[in-house]
Amino acid sequence: MELSDRELVQKCQAGEMHAFEDLVSRYHQKVYMVILGMLRNREDALEVAQETFFRAFRKINSFQGDSSFYTWIYRIAVNMSIDAQRRQKRNPLEFRESMDSVMEAQNETAKDPFAEVHDKELRARLIKAINDLTPEHKAVIVLRTIEGRSYKDIGEILGCSEGTVMSRLHYARKKLQDKLSAFL
Amino acid sequence: MTNCENLRESIGRWLDGELSPSESAAVEAHVAACAECGEARRQLESLQRALTGVLVTDAAPIEFIPFWREVQRRINSKRAWYEDISEWAREFFTAPRVAWGVPVAIVLVLAVVSLDSYFPWMRFGGGRNNFASVESIDGHGRSVALLRENDSKTTVIWLYQNEEGENETGEDGSKSGPTF
Repeated sequence: MELSDRELVQKCQAGEMHAFEDLVSRYHQKVYMVILGMLRNREDALEVAQETFFRAFRKINSFQGDSSFYTWIYRIAVNMSIDAQRRQKRNPLEFRESMDSVMEAQNETAKDPFAEVHDKELRARLIKAINDLTPEHKAVIVLRTIEGRSYKDIGEILGCSEGTVMSRLHYARKKLQDKLSAFL
Repeated sequence: MTNCENLRESIGRWLDGELSPSESAAVEAHVAACAECGEARRQLESLQRALTGVLVTDAAPIEFIPFWREVQRRINSKRAWYEDISEWAREFFTAPRVAWGVPVAIVLVLAVVSLDSYFPWMRFGGGRNNFASVESIDGHGRSVALLRENDSKTTVIWLYQNEEGENETGEDGSKSGPTF
């Protein structure tokens, strides 16, 4: 029988390393995806994801269970991503790598050459538009798009109200739409 | 703000499933009837599809074993003390804390400094001393003396030509006293 997150956390707090391994295996992919969505660079995202779980392990005894484990781990991940993004000097090489990977993936699926060109252009511009968002706006877009979290959940993760989440999402989408108006 | 503009702000929340059933029904009915709002809905859905494509396509699965080994390595390795301090500082000095902390610190410093004016007997600033100085103005014997007497808050300024300077210049041999 699969243990709940809360039970695994309690086992971690009792010093059982295997319980923490189970938690990592349960959340590593999603946490990585959220971080990658914010940083747009695979190596940086992997590094930040591993550091996220390392910090979670160090703080596991202070986790009181007021919120769910996923809210807690996502909060650490998003805060670390925002921190990393502020320190990150944008490297054009990294940006190119990120775009190339998207385009390669697109090549495998697109059939119509006109649609392919349109989609490539849209994706390239969208990646640039996402990179231009503030870390806070990027966080709501990523959590909503990748995780499909409710405004309430996103508010808990980011430590802000549902109204703030709603407002940030509205303005972030508006900014993206303004930059992509010719392609949507 | 027109009805359309009001409703257009709700389209995102409607597509996200964040409206109540009655609000959803109102937005849905309006979007079906209004061409502009229908276009706004189409654009939002198109943006959402593009976002999903970009954000999910990029996130190729990562292998668990190497990921876990690296996390384990970090857990088992001892970190330098400055890394711990740096980690603590980064978490503690968040932007909102700094935004509040700096003005609060300035207000506190000003409050402590101004306490001395309101409660001089408490001697917060260590007490203000009387002040006196003598400065040569032009190097030809003319000087200024300044005396600040704190208790009566009196400042006295003397402008005078000293005797040495007079002798050096030897113009008329007369002695001049302080000029008030």
